[in-house]
Amino acid sequence: MATIDEPLYPIAILIDELKNEDIQLRLNSIRRLSTIARALGEERTRKELIPFLSENNDDDDEVLLAMAEELGVFIPYVGGVEHAHVLLPPLETLCTVEETCVRDKAVESLCRIGAQMKESDLVDWFVPLVKRLAAGEWFTARVSSCGLFHVAYPSSPDQLKAELRSIYAQMCQDDTPMVRRAAASNLGKFAATIEQHHLKTDIMSMFEDLTQDDQDSVRLLAVEGCAALGKLLEPQDCIASILPVIVNFSQDKSWRVRYMVANQLYELCEAVGPEATRADLVPAYVRLLRDNEAEVRIAAAGKVTKFCRILSPHLAIQHILPCVKELSTDSSQHVRSALASVIMGMAPVLGKDATIEQLLPIFLSLLKDEFPDVRLNIISKLEQVNQVIGIDLLSQSLLPAIVELAEDRHWRVRLAIIEYIPLLASQLGVGFFDDKLGALCMQWLEDKVFSIREAAATNLKRLAEDFGPEWAMQHIVPEVLEKINNPHYLYRMTVLRAISLLAPVMGADITCQKLLPVVIASSKDRVPNIKFNVAKVLQSLVSVLDQSVVDKTIRPCLVELSEDPDVDVRYFAGQALQACDQVMMSS
Amino acid sequence: MWKQFLSKLPRKSSKSDASSGSVSHPINDCTGPLNRNPIQRTSSGNVVPSRSTTVKRTASAIFPSSVVTSIEPLLLFKDVPNSQKQNLFISKLNLCCVVFDFSDPNKNSTEKDMKRQALLGLIDYVDAGASRFTEPMISASCKMFAVNLFRAFPPNTRSCTGGGENEEEEPIFDPAWCHLQLVYDLLLKFVESSSLDAKIGKKYVDISFIVRLLDLFDSEDPRERDCLKTVLHRIYGKFMVHRPFIRKAVSNIFYRFVFEADRHNGIAELLEVFASVISGFALPLKEEHRLFFQRVLIPLHKPKTLGVYLQQLTYCVTQFIEKEPKMACSVIKGLVRYWPVTNSQKEVMFLSELEEVLEAIDTTELKNCMVPLFQRLGFCISSSHFQVAERALFLLNNDHVISLVAQNRQAIMPLVLPALERNTRSHWNQAVINLSQNVKKMLSEMDEEIFLACKKELGKEEEKRRIAEEKREMIWERLESSAALQPVTGNTAILVMPTEAPPITAALT
Repeated sequence: MATIDEPLYPIAILIDELKNEDIQLRLNSIRRLSTIARALGEERTRKELIPFLSENNDDDDEVLLAMAEELGVFIPYVGGVEHAHVLLPPLETLCTVEETCVRDKAVESLCRIGAQMKESDLVDWFVPLVKRLAAGEWFTARVSSCGLFHVAYPSSPDQLKAELRSIYAQMCQDDTPMVRRAAASNLGKFAATIEQHHLKTDIMSMFEDLTQDDQDSVRLLAVEGCAALGKLLEPQDCIASILPVIVNFSQDKSWRVRYMVANQLYELCEAVGPEATRADLVPAYVRLLRDNEAEVRIAAAGKVTKFCRILSPHLAIQHILPCVKELSTDSSQHVRSALASVIMGMAPVLGKDATIEQLLPIFLSLLKDEFPDVRLNIISKLEQVNQVIGIDLLSQSLLPAIVELAEDRHWRVRLAIIEYIPLLASQLGVGFFDDKLGALCMQWLEDKVFSIREAAATNLKRLAEDFGPEWAMQHIVPEVLEKINNPHYLYRMTVLRAISLLAPVMGADITCQKLLPVVIASSKDRVPNIKFNVAKVLQSLVSVLDQSVVDKTIRPCLVELSEDPDVDVRYFAGQALQACDQVMMSS
Repeated sequence: MWKQFLSKLPRKSSKSDASSGSVSHPINDCTGPLNRNPIQRTSSGNVVPSRSTTVKRTASAIFPSSVVTSIEPLLLFKDVPNSQKQNLFISKLNLCCVVFDFSDPNKNSTEKDMKRQALLGLIDYVDAGASRFTEPMISASCKMFAVNLFRAFPPNTRSCTGGGENEEEEPIFDPAWCHLQLVYDLLLKFVESSSLDAKIGKKYVDISFIVRLLDLFDSEDPRERDCLKTVLHRIYGKFMVHRPFIRKAVSNIFYRFVFEADRHNGIAELLEVFASVISGFALPLKEEHRLFFQRVLIPLHKPKTLGVYLQQLTYCVTQFIEKEPKMACSVIKGLVRYWPVTNSQKEVMFLSELEEVLEAIDTTELKNCMVPLFQRLGFCISSSHFQVAERALFLLNNDHVISLVAQNRQAIMPLVLPALERNTRSHWNQAVINLSQNVKKMLSEMDEEIFLACKKELGKEEEKRRIAEEKREMIWERLESSAALQPVTGNTAILVMPTEAPPITAALT
C-alpha cells in the first residue's frame, strides 16, 4: 500500500519523535523501538539504529530508563546472539548516567544479554566493557561494573580471571563508599562463580576488607552477604573465616548490623555444622535475643523456630527456651508479635512433654496479650499446636481467648477469627462447637461492619458443608431465617446473602420448603435494595431448584418485581428473568 | 556574616575572636525551651549497667580504677597548683569517659551530676586559655569526645511513611542531651582555642575522627545537629590539611542521600556549612568545585524531601553564581531537567529558587537556556494547581525578570502567551485569571506588534497540533505494517518475546 508511493525512513521518524518536547511522545517512541528495528531490518538496525541510540542519550531519565529496558530484549532485532555485542555500547553509556534507576536497569539488561552471548564474544566484548566501567572516572560507572563481574568471569581464560579478581578487590577498596557498597552487595553473586581455591584466598580477603570498613553502611552490606558466602565455603573454611566475623558482628555497636546478623544467623548454622553452632552461634544468638534494642529482638524472635529446628531439642530447651520466656513478656509489642507468629513452630521441635510443660504457659500468656496482633498470630497457627498437645488441652485454654477476640474492637481481628472458625469447628467437633461457638457465629451476622457480616454468611456455608445439611437444618437455618424480621434492612440483606450461599449446600428440597418462602416474602419489602437483592437471590436459586418450582413460584415473583417503580429493582428482575429463560432453553 | 568569617579562613592563624558573630545560629540557641517532653529511647552501647546500686561519694570508688589517674578528678582547678592543672585536666577527662544511661532519669543521678560538674570545670579551663595543650591532653580530649559522641543512633521510631511532606513532624530529643551538650560545648571551645596547636591536633582530630563526626549529622535531635554544624565549621577552618577530605566526605553523604534514596536528617546543616565553604573558594573556580556544583548541588534538587533543606541549597547555589555568573545557566538547565511535574508543592519551591537565580543572571547567560526555561514556565502558568500557576505568574511580575523578558521578547512571548491565553479563557481560579490578564496586558504594552502576531499564530496552533497528531498516527501505522512484512530471522527469537507495542498507546496520547 503506502509503502509504494512514498519511502519510509524509520530512523528519521525516530529522530523526529525524540525531538518532541512532550516527554510522553518521546517515551512512546522508545517503547516502540522494536517496531522501528523490525521495519529497518537486522542489518540496518545494527549499523544505524544502535549507533544512533549510543550517541543520543541526553534525555530525561524516564526515557533513558525505557531505553535501557528495551535494549535488554533486543537481541532478536539485531540478528541473534552472534550480533548481541552491538547492543553493549549504548548500555555501557547508560551504565554511567547519574540516575540510579537507569544504571540499575542498564546493568540488568547487560546481564541478560551477557547470559546469552557466546563465550568468545564475552571475552572479546563483555569483559573489556566491565574493565572500562571499573576504571570509570566518576563513581557511577564503577558502581555499575560491580554488578557485571559475575557474568564476565566464568567464560574468561585464567589470566583474565586473575585480572578480574584483582579489579574487584580494588572496587572493595575504592575511594568512595558508594562503590564499596556496590562491591559488598554484589560480592555473594561474584563469589558464586569463583573456583573454590580462589574463594578461600581472594574473596575472603575482600570480605575481610569490607567487614572492617569504617562506614557503617558498607559493613552492613557485608554482613548481608555473610550467609551466602558461608554456604559456598567448605565447613572448616567457613568456621575459620566467616564464623569469627559474624560472632564479632553480633556485638557490633550499630544496631543495624546486629539486626542483620539476627536475621540470618540460622542460615549460617548449616554452613558451620553442629559443633560450631553449639559453641559459638548459640551464645551469639542468645545475646541477640536479649539485645538492648527492640528492633534487634524483633528480628531475632522472628527466627526462633528456624534456629531451633537446626539445634538438638536439648540445646533448644536449655538455651533458647529461657529467652523465649523472657520475650513473651517483652516490653515491645512488636517483639511479642514477632514471637507469637513463629512460636507455634517450636512445638514439634521440643516434643510433647516440653511443649506442655514449658511452651504452653508462654503460649497462653501470649493468647491473653493486650495487643491484638499478638493474639491473632497465635490463633492463626493453632493447627501446629494441636498436633502436639491435642485438642482437649487446647480447647480448654483456647475458648476464652476466642470469645474475647470474637468481640474485639478491631474488625480485622474479628474477621481473622471468623476465617478460622471452620477450621476450629472441624478440629473441635460438632459437640463442642454447638455449646460454645454456635452463638458467636449468629452474632456476627448482625455485626456493624459489612465485611464481617459477609464473612459470617460465608462461614455459615462452610460450616454447613463440614457438618452436613441435617445439622445445618437443626442449628443454623431456623436462627438465620428468624433474623429476616430485623427492622434494619442491612441485616435483612445479610440473611438473603446467607440464603443464597446456603441453598446449594442444603439441596433442592430444603431450599424449596424453608428458604424460598422467606425470599418470596421479602419481595414485598418496603426497601428497594432488599427487593433487587431478592431478584439476585432468586436468579441464583434457579440452578438449585426444579424447573416446576421456577415456573410456579420464582417467575411470577420476578415478573411482579419487573414492574416495580424502582429502576434498579426492575433492572435486576429483568436480568433474573433472562437467566430463567436461558436455563429453560438449555434444558 | 559567614562571608566575613570566611575571608579569614584561608589565613593560618585561628583567632578565637573569630567565633563572635560568625555563625548565624549561635550555639547558645540550643539550650532554649526545647526541652519539653523529650522522647525516651533506650540507648545501646557501653552504658553503665543498671544494676550498679552502690552509690559512694568518691569517684575512684564508682569509676573503674583504671580511668582514675593519680589525681582526684573531683578537685576544682582553682584548688590545685598550676603544675597539677594539666594532670587534673586529664583526670577529669578520664572521668567523663563513663557514659550513662539516660533512659531512666533517676538512675545514677549522683554520678551524672559529678560528670556534669567535671565537664563544666573542663569548659571553664579551656575557655580561660591558660597554656598550650600538651599532646596527652589533646589525646585524652579526643578520646573523651569519641567515647561520648560517637554512638549508634537508635532506630527511628516514627513511621517512615509520608516522606518529607509533613514538616510539622515533632523533632526527637536525645534524653542524654544534658551531658551531650556540655561535651559539644567543650569540643567547640577545644577546637576554637588558641591553646590547641593544629599541627599536633591533626594527629587526633584525624580522618577517622572526622568521618565519625560527620556520621552524627544524621541525628534526630536538631540541637545536636546545630552544635555539629558549628563544630564542623571550626574544624574546617582550623585544620587546613583536612579540608579536601572534609569536602569529599560531605559530598559522599550527599551522593548517598541523592542516589541511594536514603533519608538523612542533616542535609540542611551540612549545606549551611558548605555555603560558607563555597564563599571561601578562590577564583577562578577549581575543577573540583565545578564538579561539586554539577554533580552534587544540582542533583540535590531531586529528592522529595527537598523542602527541608531548600533554603540552604538555594543559598549555596546563589553563592556559586555570585562567584561565577556562568553557573546560572547550568542551574536553570538542571532545574528544568529535574522539574517535579507531579509534585505541585515542589514545583512551587522550584519556582522560588528559579526567581532567585533569575535575579542573578545576566542577559547573555539567559540566552543559552531561555527556551526550555520559558517552555516550562508556560506549563506552570497554566497548571491546574492554583498555587503553582500563581507562583509562576508572580515570577513574571518581578522587575528583573520583566526586563529579561523584554530583552528577549521575540523568543519568549510565543512561549508564554498560549498559556496566558488558556488561563484567561478557562482557568478555574479567579486570582489566576486576574494575574494572567495583568501579565498579558503588560506583554502587549511591551511590544504590541509581536503580541498580536503571537495571538494570530495561536488560533492556528491548535489546528496544527491536530494535524501533526494525525500524521504521527499514520506514520506509526505504516511503520507497523512495514515492520510486519520484515521477517524476524533472529535465531533466538524464541528466547525473547518480541515486545509488540499496542497501537492504542499512540492513539491515546
